Amino acid sequence: MATHKPATLIWCMGVTQHTVGTANVRALSILQLALGNIGVEGGGANIFRGHCNVQGATDLGLDVTSLPAYYGLSERAWRHWSRVWDVDYEWVRNRFGKPDMAMEDRQALMEAKGIPTTRWFDAVVADPADVDQPDRLRGMVVFGHGGNTVPRMPEMRAGLEALDLLVVADPHPTTFAVVSERKDGTYLLPIGTQFECSGSRTASNRSLQWGNQIVEPLFESKNDYEAMYLLSKRLGIAEQMFKHIQVDGDAPLAEDILREINRGTWSIGYTGQSPERLKQHMEQQGDFDMVSLRGKPGTTVEGEFYGLPWPCWGTPELKHPGTHVLYNTHEHVMKGGGTFRARFGVERDGETLLAEGSWSVGSEIEDGYPEFTYGILKTLGWDGDLTADELASIQAVGGADPDSVSWAIDLSGGIQRVAMAHGCVPYGNAKARAVAWNLPDPVPVHREPIFSPRPELVAEFPTTEDKRDFRVMNIGHTLQAKAVADKTVESFPLILTSGRLVEYEGGGEETRSNRWLAELQQEMFVEVNPADAARLGVRDGGMVWVFGPSEGKARVKALVTNRVGEGVAFMPFHFAGFWSGESQRAKYPEGADPIVLGDSANACTTYGYDPVTAMHEGKATLCRIEAA
Amino acid sequence: MARMKFLCDAERCIECNACVTACKNENEVPWGINRRRVVTLNDGEMGKERSISMACMHCTDAPCASVCPVECFYTTADAVVLHSKDLCIGCGYCFYACPFGAPQYPQLGNFGGRGKMDKCTFCAGGPEADNTPEEYASYGANRLAEGKLPLCAEMCSTKALLAGDGEIIAAIYKERVVTRGYGSGAWGWSTAYPDSQGV
Repeated sequence: MATHKPATLIWCMGVTQHTVGTANVRALSILQLALGNIGVEGGGANIFRGHCNVQGATDLGLDVTSLPAYYGLSERAWRHWSRVWDVDYEWVRNRFGKPDMAMEDRQALMEAKGIPTTRWFDAVVADPADVDQPDRLRGMVVFGHGGNTVPRMPEMRAGLEALDLLVVADPHPTTFAVVSERKDGTYLLPIGTQFECSGSRTASNRSLQWGNQIVEPLFESKNDYEAMYLLSKRLGIAEQMFKHIQVDGDAPLAEDILREINRGTWSIGYTGQSPERLKQHMEQQGDFDMVSLRGKPGTTVEGEFYGLPWPCWGTPELKHPGTHVLYNTHEHVMKGGGTFRARFGVERDGETLLAEGSWSVGSEIEDGYPEFTYGILKTLGWDGDLTADELASIQAVGGADPDSVSWAIDLSGGIQRVAMAHGCVPYGNAKARAVAWNLPDPVPVHREPIFSPRPELVAEFPTTEDKRDFRVMNIGHTLQAKAVADKTVESFPLILTSGRLVEYEGGGEETRSNRWLAELQQEMFVEVNPADAARLGVRDGGMVWVFGPSEGKARVKALVTNRVGEGVAFMPFHFAGFWSGESQRAKYPEGADPIVLGDSANACTTYGYDPVTAMHEGKATLCRIEAA
Repeated sequence: MARMKFLCDAERCIECNACVTACKNENEVPWGINRRRVVTLNDGEMGKERSISMACMHCTDAPCASVCPVECFYTTADAVVLHSKDLCIGCGYCFYACPFGAPQYPQLGNFGGRGKMDKCTFCAGGPEADNTPEEYASYGANRLAEGKLPLCAEMCSTKALLAGDGEIIAAIYKERVVTRGYGSGAWGWSTAYPDSQGV
């Protein structure tokens, strides 16, 4: 790797689904930085997504720690989005909490991280006093999420049974609908697939494509937009939520949804990709070079990158070409170039954090510089370049303190436009950092999994301390110590990991219902090394029980193979519809059961959460395998 | 006239089964019938695993046609080997004759009745008039008549599976071999030519 350059590094959930997931991702990014593989064509740190528009969902606030476009949850962030939505900030704040709560408490709640999908059931079964919100979680609406992709399914099942209300909104009745013994208060809403609605979709490379509706929603299905609109209507917030989105009958206009995204997502340059520009790219796919992704000379998309990968700075009218390679100083910012972001202040411990001796092509500031604000433009004498309308918008946003209005909250895009006209990147020009002083481990370090196969290493490499975070308690440290004290590894001597199959996707309800794909993978299985299989008396194709070190178990077929090392077992996580060896097929609404059912890998997986993201540890636990 | 051929570059096949899925969807091939399949050898063995996508190879001198007692096979002007399900008696001789396991049978009856043989048509339909509902019902799509190539190869994400005029795909393949700078990459090469450089 030291000599073969450029080189890209690609990873998926094998890196992230650990208690050290964030540390792993950072270690790989630091490696790429050290190798000089960041900011160059052919380099990069690339995280592949498993499904259409996962990137787009993430960008738009799927993460419980942030509003759309990574603005965070601070008052400043809420006020920004309230301006974008054109709703009163106080009105938004009063949606939070209970009627008798004080204003400060409501604000604290609105600025508190939410409960992640990995932990929701802990917030259902907990004592209300142990949940950092006015009550325990009592109702849940699940939009397009499989119930079997997250570990600790026995606890998840208990959580399902303790919910007052469960709504499953999905093309298929997912695991959530059938895995528990719930009898009442469960609603299945048939929701169309992506083929049943138009809209923009964002890929792993940050490029957007416009998808046209292929078929009308099937049967009684509605698409996401319509379901959201009808729900907001019943909740009495439709007027505010769709204030600037045209609604035909009950169907919000997809183009207007993207236009609203464009109006607010200045922080990541998701602003230049108007529906019109995206549709033009789709229609003129032949005008783009297949390798460089640039529009060919002489075409109306010349120089633009296909799908306008964000950051596509400024307004659509500015015609920024999109940024194919992040942090590429070899290009002008208006041609897709960039610098490292001045994200962490300008100075620390007396040392500058800004770039030294590095800038992107054409920058009038030939040195590091902080992120742009109206005040900085004034200091540079560039504020005169703003149009009257831009200036008025900046003053409206800034109120008494217009100097503090930054490139990220200026709704006119004027600050971005002026900075780029001078060859500067709106977010500043700083150094990348390998030491993240605001994270639990500023420099990534090794920490053993909660259920470690090497308990003797736990003393030296323990998991992070127990902490109340994401509104619930994370007791990973206690459980790790208990597993060592209980000598759990002696009764569960194999490492258990989980992952994907090429035939199925996510929870698998959709793909296991597809007869072409179902035929290719008809049975849930566990991969076992031949040496382990011989020792355990397990035959290839024979049924086995896989026991997790908590209470879960699964009855699956053994696939004896050298693909897994000795002492390691692998299970795919796409299966559901069996619970502890019992078929749940009768619980599906008639005709809605997937063709292939199987026990779930995550029935056996265990506790463990990344302290920064709350990502679960689905990739590392222990198990015991017995012939069934 | 072009001589249509399939070629699977085992060096590139990643066993994703997209070709199988594309074939089934395009031709509405029922559960249990495999016009195309991906065969993996040494599954899970580090450095030894090889996958190859197999279907009817549309032989120049097709053994299936040689043994067919009712002469249901015919070769099109594009050198695609097709058959008539109206003539087929489901005897299974072609199944024994074919070195690639291409012929498939929809049923297994009490007295050995197999039903009409089904196999890969190179997405070229059958003897009925081109792109008619009757042709589709018996043989599936006729993409060749529409000027398109078989969907399995068109969908192949790594372009391991090539389909088209034998001269053209041979040229593509030669270029790959030269670029790689070793062997042929073809599965079975070292068996056929034990003295040459291995795969």
